[in-house]
Amino acid sequence: MNVVELLNVCKLYKTQYYEVLALSEVTLEIEEGEFIVVMGPSGSGKSTLLNIIGCLDKPTSGKVLINGVETSKLSDKELTELRRDTIGFVFQTFNLIPTLTVFENVELPMIFKGIEKKKRQKRVMELLRLVGLDELADRKPAEMSGGQQQRVAIARALANEPLILLCDEPTGNLDTKTGLQIVDIIKQQNEERGVTVILVTHNPSLQDFGNRVVKLRDGRIIDVL
Amino acid sequence: MYFELAKRNLKRIKVRSLLAIVGILIGVMAISSIGIFGESLKATVLENFKDVANEIIIRPNHQAGYKYIDDKDIMRIKKMPHVANVIPVLSDVVLVGYRDKKSYIAVYGMDERELSQMFELEDGSFKLKGSCIIGNRLAELASLRVGKKLSIGGKLFRISGILKDAGARFDINPNLAIFLSEQDFKKISDSGYDMLIVKVESLDVVGEVKDNIEKKINYREKKIIAFDLKLILDRINKVFSRVNSFLIAIASISLLVAGVSILNIMLMSTIERTKELGVMRAIGAYRVTIVKIFLLEALILGLIGSSIGSILSIFGGYVIDFILLKNVKYVFQLSSLFYIALGFSVGLATAIISGLYPAWKASKLEPIEALRYE
Repeated sequence: MNVVELLNVCKLYKTQYYEVLALSEVTLEIEEGEFIVVMGPSGSGKSTLLNIIGCLDKPTSGKVLINGVETSKLSDKELTELRRDTIGFVFQTFNLIPTLTVFENVELPMIFKGIEKKKRQKRVMELLRLVGLDELADRKPAEMSGGQQQRVAIARALANEPLILLCDEPTGNLDTKTGLQIVDIIKQQNEERGVTVILVTHNPSLQDFGNRVVKLRDGRIIDVL
Repeated sequence: MYFELAKRNLKRIKVRSLLAIVGILIGVMAISSIGIFGESLKATVLENFKDVANEIIIRPNHQAGYKYIDDKDIMRIKKMPHVANVIPVLSDVVLVGYRDKKSYIAVYGMDERELSQMFELEDGSFKLKGSCIIGNRLAELASLRVGKKLSIGGKLFRISGILKDAGARFDINPNLAIFLSEQDFKKISDSGYDMLIVKVESLDVVGEVKDNIEKKINYREKKIIAFDLKLILDRINKVFSRVNSFLIAIASISLLVAGVSILNIMLMSTIERTKELGVMRAIGAYRVTIVKIFLLEALILGLIGSSIGSILSIFGGYVIDFILLKNVKYVFQLSSLFYIALGFSVGLATAIISGLYPAWKASKLEPIEALRYE
């Protein structure tokens, strides 16, 4: 079954002075359990593609179906729920909430979903064990290394058991070794839990993790391996 | 959790939060302290009228041809229910001489005992038989002392006492007057009773007694005019309430300023936290959730500021009363509680209202724009 379907998706950024066609006629189907690596130089539209799949951005034209639901017809509230329940985000800059502890950061999406406290706490500890940070639950993000922060971010992304995990340059701010550890955790989730992963990177060494590699240039898919 | 988050967000900008709290605190304190002071001022003024508030004053109706009140009517009023005491007053303006000075002065004929109940002495004693008691301004103006003799209406009277300054009254103005006994008064003037002071048992029945007197005495012809001082009291009450509202309105300006400062720091917060807000929206926070967090922050600032401000306002009210009224006994009356509650709720409301716009603005951020923000 397709969890993501893009049909002739275009995204045009317009300002007063210039126009940029970030995505041009992109059509892509992604099946459940796939690990897609999206590659391309900067400015090729990788992040835009990811943001559109993640319901953070809307296409100028074309259709986007997430888990069979067409997103253009959804309200802000429904889109929020779709992101919350179906999609997990891992960002290049980790983007943890600085005022919250590791534990609370992982707990946050479940609070948004309204999961009861006991269940939440159990799940947070499970997730932190999974990423190997259960000992650091009370730390604040600023007290941790980049690799540790990214692991917290993965735990947070997995909190509501998403169908799709969207990773935007997750290793971009990490050294090679730490970066590989992070991708290993993501791969492990993909294999064990069957979560669909879409990973954007311009690091060619990550190509091998994907079962498909989508290459973008100037907003077009030029190759699918 | 949202509360905890709001709390920590405020802690992150400690100095700014503290300043916002101080702003609210000052505003609340200004409102409550001034409210307490206004109420004390009113109470102080009203206290001066407390003795006369349960009086009904009756005068003959000159327009219907009545110059005096007759004894029969006085007797009837005395027998009416709820009437505690009736003081008939004789009065006339009589030529008074002292050494080579002469002047027409108001002279009252009254019972010695009634006089001693109504006024206090500054000097001398309450002795009216064959002598007189004079008002304090009169003694001052004419340099009169106890023991001196005045010629009143051609007869000599020794001054036995000088009254204390009685302030403004609506029945008898004693400061520039002379008091004689009824018998002595009748020797120098043929005036009858032209005023009746009716003391009523309690303030609540003033209106009832007044109606009763008018009905019984004026049943055929409008012989007398009665007016009660309660009406004047009500007026004073009203005027001071208005003055108080005005003062509080001025004090509220400081709260307005505090509101603007909250608006300011929270707007700065929305900008500083743009990326964080984007993340929260991305991982599943509704717009309402963002609004909630921001309003909670405003609420916390308002609650802390208003609480401290309320406590300090008791102190503030005490200080203002002490400086301006030299009297702090009215700080701890029930109405103070009302003004403290008023200050508290206005402070809280200001904080929340000031938080509305930043909260709305924060919730309107597009997640994608917010995430891109650096």
